[in-house]
Amino acid sequence: MTNNVNRRDFLRTSLGTAAAWSVLPSARVRGANDRIVIGVMGLGGRGTYLAEAFARRSDAEIAWLCDVDSRRFARVRESVGDLQDRQPKMVQDFRKVLDDKSVDVLINATPDHWHGLGTIMACQAGKDVFVEKPMSHNPYEGRQMIAAARKYQRIIQVDTQSRSAPYMAQVADYIRSGAIGDVYLVRVFNMMQHAKVGAAPDQQSPEGLDYDLWCGPAAKLPYNPSRRWLNYYEYSAGPIAGDAVHQMDLARFLLGDPAYPKSVSCAGGVNALTDGRDCPDTQIATFEYGPLTLMMEAALWTPWMKKTPGIVRDSDKFPDWPFSSTKIEVCGTKGFVYVGRHGGGWQAYDSNGELARSEYGRQADKEHQDNFIDCVRTRKPANAGAEQGHYSAMLCHMANISCRVNNRKLTWDADTESFAGDPDANKHLKRQYRSPWIVAEEV
Amino acid sequence: MVRALQWIVLLACCSHAFAQWADISNVEILSDPTELAGLRVAIEYDLNAAAVSAAHPVYVFVRCTTDGGQTWRRLNPQFLRGDVDLVEKPGRKSCVWWGTQKMLPADVADLRVKVRGIPMAAIPAGRFEMKSIPGGGHDETTTRRAVSDLPLFHVARCETTVAMYVDYLNETARAGGGWTERMANPQRCGIIRSGEPGAFTYAAVPGRGNYPVTGVSWYDAIAFMDWCGLRLPTEAEWEKAVRGGLFLDGDLSRKVPNPLPGRKYPWGDDAPDAGGVYRCNFDGPDDGFEYTAPVGSFARFNSPYGLCDLAGNVAEWTADWYATSHHAGLDGFRMVRGGSWMALPIACDAVTGATQLPIKESSIMGFRAAR
Repeated sequence: MTNNVNRRDFLRTSLGTAAAWSVLPSARVRGANDRIVIGVMGLGGRGTYLAEAFARRSDAEIAWLCDVDSRRFARVRESVGDLQDRQPKMVQDFRKVLDDKSVDVLINATPDHWHGLGTIMACQAGKDVFVEKPMSHNPYEGRQMIAAARKYQRIIQVDTQSRSAPYMAQVADYIRSGAIGDVYLVRVFNMMQHAKVGAAPDQQSPEGLDYDLWCGPAAKLPYNPSRRWLNYYEYSAGPIAGDAVHQMDLARFLLGDPAYPKSVSCAGGVNALTDGRDCPDTQIATFEYGPLTLMMEAALWTPWMKKTPGIVRDSDKFPDWPFSSTKIEVCGTKGFVYVGRHGGGWQAYDSNGELARSEYGRQADKEHQDNFIDCVRTRKPANAGAEQGHYSAMLCHMANISCRVNNRKLTWDADTESFAGDPDANKHLKRQYRSPWIVAEEV
Repeated sequence: MVRALQWIVLLACCSHAFAQWADISNVEILSDPTELAGLRVAIEYDLNAAAVSAAHPVYVFVRCTTDGGQTWRRLNPQFLRGDVDLVEKPGRKSCVWWGTQKMLPADVADLRVKVRGIPMAAIPAGRFEMKSIPGGGHDETTTRRAVSDLPLFHVARCETTVAMYVDYLNETARAGGGWTERMANPQRCGIIRSGEPGAFTYAAVPGRGNYPVTGVSWYDAIAFMDWCGLRLPTEAEWEKAVRGGLFLDGDLSRKVPNPLPGRKYPWGDDAPDAGGVYRCNFDGPDDGFEYTAPVGSFARFNSPYGLCDLAGNVAEWTADWYATSHHAGLDGFRMVRGGSWMALPIACDAVTGATQLPIKESSIMGFRAAR
């Protein structure tokens, strides 16, 4: 195997993507002093954090705060109102935000099942979108999100923020320079500590929650507070996908952003947290990219491996790699690299096992948001645009689909964007939509 | 030889403004030299609140200084005997400090004390309907039960006030900890800091002493609790305080059934603004308050145990982690319960909670004590 056969292929793919974006005309070039006007859809933990982060900026302001659950309004309204001069309007239905012509950007921090349609409708309304990860609920939606971004010439930034970390660019350069030889194996870890969810009876949805709108494109099942959306395919790509997609995205980034793998196989299922959920709690997935193999090893019930500790994240420290639950191991013919998420930095070893290079890292939420605002102004493609968001999410979707067809190995046909000769697997490429919340073929 | 008791008044400490501190005055320190054991020190005070009872006791704690007020410490209640901790009757009160070593006159010559009290409500032991949405601070690893049980506990009748927090800061925060610029906002909190680092002093904006303190992080609230020897309520305690037990006199007595054990709000099931009657301080000025209100402004709508402002005014920190299967406490979120002056009326109920990082300082969040 030559040193960079894969890498050249990947770079070609990547450049092709960039070229495609570069021919798009600018939709709206803003003045430097013109604040970006933002509506936030989804006011849970992450949505509240993002609302506060963008409200803190001098070049942006929050005009709308939107959540189907009006009981959430006070917390974020208070904090955002304190951070900017403008008092944001509160609304349950995000379509009112989209109707506001003065709004430039929709931050979509909803559960997975609203990522696709919320983003597409925002593109149709002329808004740029900062959308939470994983970008899509299912493969079809990801492709449609790309189509909408292209058609309406919109900027999409997926919130896989580590892609904007300077230390990630550094280690990507290191790996792509051939310093560790040919990369033949990348191992992505994602070990978490979840617990079983206790059962509660179905009940009336709480006053103040527009449950019908919350369900949106998903089936309107009886309201049950113990049905955690994250754990069910009806609403989610699963807890593993929801977190591991960060490292999968970084793995692709380190390798020059390859598009689709040729195949996927998966071992896993709901092995420990047997509380009625259908998304896996244990998953080992293998993706074949020709001579390169990408592996994901993930579980929700593993108490000994932990995410990058707080004291490491923004300091000159490294994680304790054997116990790092979100590390990436890049194995080359001449060396080996540990890469840490959350500002964990990276350390490279040569073929004798000697430490060859160490670089600390920092978390990159601010850099990622800076990049998005800059791209909204300049119309340059974002660091984590829709295409890369889609390819990274697809790894999680493919692993899930393999899991859902009894962990069968599946071959991917990139031309048809479907699994070759496997109609059972292909049933999971698109969800059943609940009218009127349908992601149409024609966006 | 038995010696006649001859108390010597060492120093009378001034009573303080009591914006929701219990009304305590005429504090005196008395010394009784014993033949063999050194000094016995007694602390006397008047507890003036007429409504003090077993159901509504006052939590009394004593803090002292021996360096002219530069540093203060709380007297360990284990070494106090008499009318401290939960005091159930008004009048002249006395407690004896046993000390931790043989004390000589020189040891107590510079002793000054402050006696403070927090009006509390007893929540009798027994079952109640716990209706929180699972995940809002619940342990989801077990199946939720419709009826939960709690032992006897006590909760402060009012949210911690600006005056109480100012008192705390003036003892503990000469260097500046525990105060933020946010607290200076005269409409939302109202605590002004003066002086230089190492010699900061604090004062309530005139007229604001009886308003709830806001802008306090969870750590600030815990520090205040440590200062006075109390703690934050758990979510379950908070919810029982709102709704009441199945029997308001507790499961041992069972003479006073709760007419609305599943009530949505402290006063019942009527919405906070039903019929044009305003029952708590929620979003907007229609209830009479655009921002925070003096504690106890909606006393007609207290909880069954006489606790005020559980529904609105400020949301309140609790002791509990946000412990869902998703977060499993990893991110360190703490639970906040209750509505606030910025919350919609429906969010002022007994079950709505919010997650907050413990470093969060918000003008819609305060706290109350529990024991």
